[in-house]
Amino acid sequence: MTVRSRLHRVIGLCFLVPAISGCSDSFLAGKLHYVENEALTKDVKGRSSLVGKPRLQEKVRKALADIFGEDPQRIRVPEAMGGLLNSGGAYLGNYQVQDGVVKHSANEDPVTKQFTRYAGGYGIYRRQCLHCHGVSGAGDGPTAPFLYPYPRDYRKGLFKFTSTPNGARPSKEDLKRTVRNGLNGTSMPAFHSLLSDFEIDQVVDYVIFLSIRGETELALIDEGAISDETDINALSPETAAEIADGVIRRWIADQSKVVNPTIARTESTRESILRGRELFLGKTPEKLECSGCHGLLARGDGKSFVPQDVFNQVVFGGNPSERQQRIDALSPEMKDLWGQKLDDWGNPLRPANLNRGKDTVYKGGRRPIDIYWRIAKGITGAQMPAHYPTIDEKKVWDLVNFVLALPFEPELLGESPHPGGPEVPPGVSGTPPVAAR
Amino acid sequence: MRYWSVVFALAAIFSVGAFVYAPLSGDWWLPNPSGDMHHSVSSFGREIDSLFVIILVITGVVFIGTQVVLVWEAYRFADRVDDAGRPVRQARYFHGSQRLEVIWTIIPAAILVFIALYQMGTWANIKFRSAAPKVQPTAEVTARQFQWIFRYPGPDRKLYTPDDLYTVNDFHFVKDRMTLINLRSSDVIHSFFLPHMRIKQDAVPGMIIPVWFDSDTAGHFELVCAELCGWGHYKMRGNVTVHASDEEFAKWQADLLAEQNRSQLSMATDNQGR
Ligand SMILES: [Cu+2]
Repeated sequence: MTVRSRLHRVIGLCFLVPAISGCSDSFLAGKLHYVENEALTKDVKGRSSLVGKPRLQEKVRKALADIFGEDPQRIRVPEAMGGLLNSGGAYLGNYQVQDGVVKHSANEDPVTKQFTRYAGGYGIYRRQCLHCHGVSGAGDGPTAPFLYPYPRDYRKGLFKFTSTPNGARPSKEDLKRTVRNGLNGTSMPAFHSLLSDFEIDQVVDYVIFLSIRGETELALIDEGAISDETDINALSPETAAEIADGVIRRWIADQSKVVNPTIARTESTRESILRGRELFLGKTPEKLECSGCHGLLARGDGKSFVPQDVFNQVVFGGNPSERQQRIDALSPEMKDLWGQKLDDWGNPLRPANLNRGKDTVYKGGRRPIDIYWRIAKGITGAQMPAHYPTIDEKKVWDLVNFVLALPFEPELLGESPHPGGPEVPPGVSGTPPVAAR
Repeated sequence: MRYWSVVFALAAIFSVGAFVYAPLSGDWWLPNPSGDMHHSVSSFGREIDSLFVIILVITGVVFIGTQVVLVWEAYRFADRVDDAGRPVRQARYFHGSQRLEVIWTIIPAAILVFIALYQMGTWANIKFRSAAPKVQPTAEVTARQFQWIFRYPGPDRKLYTPDDLYTVNDFHFVKDRMTLINLRSSDVIHSFFLPHMRIKQDAVPGMIIPVWFDSDTAGHFELVCAELCGWGHYKMRGNVTVHASDEEFAKWQADLLAEQNRSQLSMATDNQGR
């Protein structure tokens, strides 16, 4: 008898183990909740918050749930967003299409009471992006603290490497390019061999959705901060909907602002490269002085930024969570400089090292047009300013030619890249590898 | 207790059955081009597969033999008691048997020495630097958390010049050509693994390691990282394209170069990323 029952247990186990390990799309089943913006309930340095305004906080939460859905599994798409996303947002996930039209984001079909299971952008995001970028796109996923630079926080609607003007929302093509090719020199990998073009379309839709949701959240907090907690009309649903529409309209408008150089690239002749060099070193009437930030040798060590060793000490010199203590230990002047050299997300900035020889990395892409965009319209959120139309387009192309030639001709800036000395170790450059530990 | 032997027997039969069935299933056997189960696409791959089959046969024979003995003994002698309820045969303990130990050391040792000698030529052909083909490296491959970065010599056929071509997770070479790459890592140890070509080589920071292989089949294959190199390890997958001819490869390079030199968006609807 005992032998028998034990035998059953053994055989049972044989069936159970594969059954447990074989669950496939269960990743869609668990509950996920959007992470609230800190400013909703806490004092955040340098921005308005809703501390001590519990009723307005509640109104923001309700407005967000009404406009975008309560949680990532119940996505709602504001009507205005339809034109911005593929098939009116049908690819976001957990969606329902009736008669070819996206009706709403309910999981349940009101007629058949059946659940629609479609992972879409939400499913792909959850699998591939969430662990860095976080549930609501705040760049706060579980692996984020271990990365340098930090993953992008979408909630400002700002993205660094775009084809649209400085500060404008990115074009969809920009986001697709970033997902497809990754960002060289950062932890953003290239996904073109992991995801099909259709899947990239879906996940980009979802990123835009999260971005718009986050921007709306910030705008609602700003609106609430200047409103009276006791005013029953403050932050009405109509106001909230208007705010969301404003955010969406801005995205749609910026799609058509893609910058295309009006003149063809100047051929990369010796003269053009040398003209670019003069511009870089600030020896022309325009006084560009790229070298002030990028350094006289273009190694990303210009004097207007924190010295490299201080930077490395703070960013890589110990536990990431104790970074603030390391900043506090700096001399007052250095601390002041540190505070000035942060990007719009509050992360420390480093000008690119453009002179690393064959290992030179161009984060935003290495095509002439990519470099043109970086110089002509700057880097959104960082301190690389737009130089067009400050200087004319021909000169932008001269600079492009110089920047592309420099890694192969370090003598352009007077010195070979590693003059007999030790090779620059990884991590001591503008774009060090992931802070592995 | 004797029925336990049935469980052991079933487990052994299942295992052997799985191995017998495996070559009949495209999903279970070694990674091969779809619809062609017994064919590795590279010359080294076929050598390695035959080594693999030899090891499988040796271990299979040993496994079946030991399982038969184990099950039979367990079935025959378990639970046998006399009328008084005592075991029919008392278990007997003895300390050491030189003859037995010599036998069970010599047999596996001989098998191991045989395998070691038998595979040596293949190993030398695939791994010894002296055996590296005297050809231009097709690319420099840098592993990085978490992707493969390829750098090809451009039209001037020299690496580290302004016309170099760059791709990420996208590897191209030509059919029926012994192809050489230089493998580097910029952070941790990764492992360059071409499953269809049975090529696996660690990428070690600070080292430049030559790796060579070929393919007799044009088409699309896969590159993965075979080293657990961090949380994004599973993302280190790349597409491998084997071109049918040098012309096709040159055409791909020309397209890549044109895209890499792009300085204008020709049309508003232009796909900027490709
Ligand atoms: Cu790896």
